[in-house]
Amino acid sequence: MTTLLVALTIGAVLFGIGLYGALSQTNLVMIMMGVELMLGAATVNLVAFWRFLHPDAYSGQMFVLIVMTVMALEMAVGFGVATSRFRATGSVEMEEAAELKG
Amino acid sequence: MSIAILAILGPLAAAGLIASLRRTAEPLAMLGAVVSTIAALVTLLRVAGGARYSVLLPGLPDLPLRLIVDPLSAVLSAAIAIVSFFVLLYALGYMRGDGGRARFYAEMSFFAAAMQTLVFAGDWVLLLAAWELIGLSSYLLIGYYHEQPGVPAAASRAFLTTRSADLGLYLGVFLLVSRVGTTEIAATLDAGGTATTVVGLLFLLAAAGKSAQAPFQGWLADAMAGPTPVSALLHSATLVAAGVVLLARAFPLLPPGVLLLVGIVGGATAALSGLAAIAQRDLKRLLAASTSSQLGFMFLALGAGSVVAAVFHLVTHAAMKSALFLGAGIFQHDRHGAGFDELAGAGRGRRFAFAGFTLAGLALAGVPPLAGFWSKDAVVAGALRSQYAWVLAPLALVGTLLTGAYVARALRLLWYGEERGGPAKGLGSMGVGLTGLALLAALLGVAADPLARLLDNELPEGLLAVVLNLLAALVGLSAGRLLSADRLLGRVRAPAEVNFRVAGGFADIMVRPALSLAYAIDGLDRSIQAGALNAGRGTLAAASAVWAADEFLHSAVRGAGSLGLVLAGASRRADERGIDVLIAGLVRRTRRLGGRARRLQTGLVHRELALAAGGVAALLVLVFVVTLSLR
Repeated sequence: MTTLLVALTIGAVLFGIGLYGALSQTNLVMIMMGVELMLGAATVNLVAFWRFLHPDAYSGQMFVLIVMTVMALEMAVGFGVATSRFRATGSVEMEEAAELKG
Repeated sequence: MSIAILAILGPLAAAGLIASLRRTAEPLAMLGAVVSTIAALVTLLRVAGGARYSVLLPGLPDLPLRLIVDPLSAVLSAAIAIVSFFVLLYALGYMRGDGGRARFYAEMSFFAAAMQTLVFAGDWVLLLAAWELIGLSSYLLIGYYHEQPGVPAAASRAFLTTRSADLGLYLGVFLLVSRVGTTEIAATLDAGGTATTVVGLLFLLAAAGKSAQAPFQGWLADAMAGPTPVSALLHSATLVAAGVVLLARAFPLLPPGVLLLVGIVGGATAALSGLAAIAQRDLKRLLAASTSSQLGFMFLALGAGSVVAAVFHLVTHAAMKSALFLGAGIFQHDRHGAGFDELAGAGRGRRFAFAGFTLAGLALAGVPPLAGFWSKDAVVAGALRSQYAWVLAPLALVGTLLTGAYVARALRLLWYGEERGGPAKGLGSMGVGLTGLALLAALLGVAADPLARLLDNELPEGLLAVVLNLLAALVGLSAGRLLSADRLLGRVRAPAEVNFRVAGGFADIMVRPALSLAYAIDGLDRSIQAGALNAGRGTLAAASAVWAADEFLHSAVRGAGSLGLVLAGASRRADERGIDVLIAGLVRRTRRLGGRARRLQTGLVHRELALAAGGVAALLVLVFVVTLSLR
């Protein structure tokens, strides 16, 4: 059980770092890195639960693969937005991108 | 169909065409007159050959237009057609350059057509219609120069006088037709009884009015207001002859008493108008008075029982008088006036016209062998043969004498006096018309015997009549030649000059009763007005009562209205202070809430992420607490 606890702890730490990064940074790229960290934390948790609680079922691995796909898509969309934003305004600072507020 | 209809239709069609085209008036009028003349002459020849017939034209329902062709109508139609033809020929020259001459020719043609209709009429209704048309067209023609002062009045006077007398014809025809039951003239002529006396008197009234017999003789002088050709036609064969035509047509109907009255009226007119003619100081008025006098001869002949003499004198007089008028018109044209002062000596500048005038004048006076001698001789002989010779013959002889006197006066006037050398224009067609009529005036005497044969009657004649007549004419001529009007007339002159307005003449006979009638009508009018005023007052009172009721109703409605207004105001206030305020408050608060909620939307990604994370955390805590508390 100790290893599960260790894995969950690592996951929680990663999530916390990611959350902090996403909340504290104003650069779009840095925010996306935070988000990636949180997703990584979730992946760690999923793998840990599958490995230590249900090693005979493959559904946990499937979930991980889906999450990785989602991560790739999220990165592609996020960098697309960032590139377009950079081309339009010359910066990716989110403090300056508040035009869409009501 | 009979060719006699063409005698009517020719001038009628000409009048219609001229009135609608307003151009080529002269050729059309002449064409109509020529057609009419030819038709009338052909008819006369046929009648002379023994033809007698009546033509039934389709007219109104149950009222066919019946024309009769008999010696009387044929002779008169021929006389009318020929005189109108020559007068129109004269008018070609006389009316040249006149602006409204299309109207003149249309009216002249219409006039001739109306007279032809009268002559041929075989039905009392048609005769009445023609009689009225003659009155109308003579009114139009007398008033031809209607823009000149006095002319409309003269036309109206002529029209009113003849119209008043026309009532006699209406009443007479009505009485006769209602008694006999048919409108055919021939069928009514043998009606007897006392009614015929009344009818005869009524006819005499109408005829005297139309033919300017006493006491209506005054209007004829006023009829001079029209152009000379109008006077020539009016005074010879047409308008004034209508009365004689009527009496000749109705002659078999007239009882002896009425005939005597006809004769006396005619004789009196012959004498009185002869005196008036002598007194005139205007050539055309002289001729007008003379017309009245000569028509008196015809009435006298009818009264004496000799239709032939009357018709013969009518025909010869038509030629003589129209020739005289045409001559007078030429002199008037030269001297710009028909007064004696203007015309003195005019004849010497116009020898040809003067010759025609003299010929016609001497014929009128009764100098043999001119036409007037024969016809007057017939009249006098008829008067002598009548059973009332003691009253009729002297009147006829006095008339002859006076005729001679005024003819001599006119001739003396035209010949002696200063010669002013009037404009020596050629006469042209005026001369042709005058020549034709003057020749007829001279030569018509030969027509006496054929005419008598045609009318199935012998012309009265006698040596005594010839001698007396000639004597009277010669005495009259020499008296007129030698003596002045004052010497001739003496104290009679003043009344003669105003044409013997018996009992005030037209003014008293016609105007006075008309005026008093008007006053009576005025009084009636006033009483009607007063009645209307009273009715108006009553209505006014009723109206004010209604007004008060109305006012009450009005205020009630007003009160109801203002109550409604107050209610509406309250409703509005409730609306404003209640619901409106409520809604406004709701809106304000919603907006304020929205404003506050808006502040959350910063658009800053990390801030919103933080909120989301905070929310998730709160949710987790809530789940945790709930799970714990449920355990």
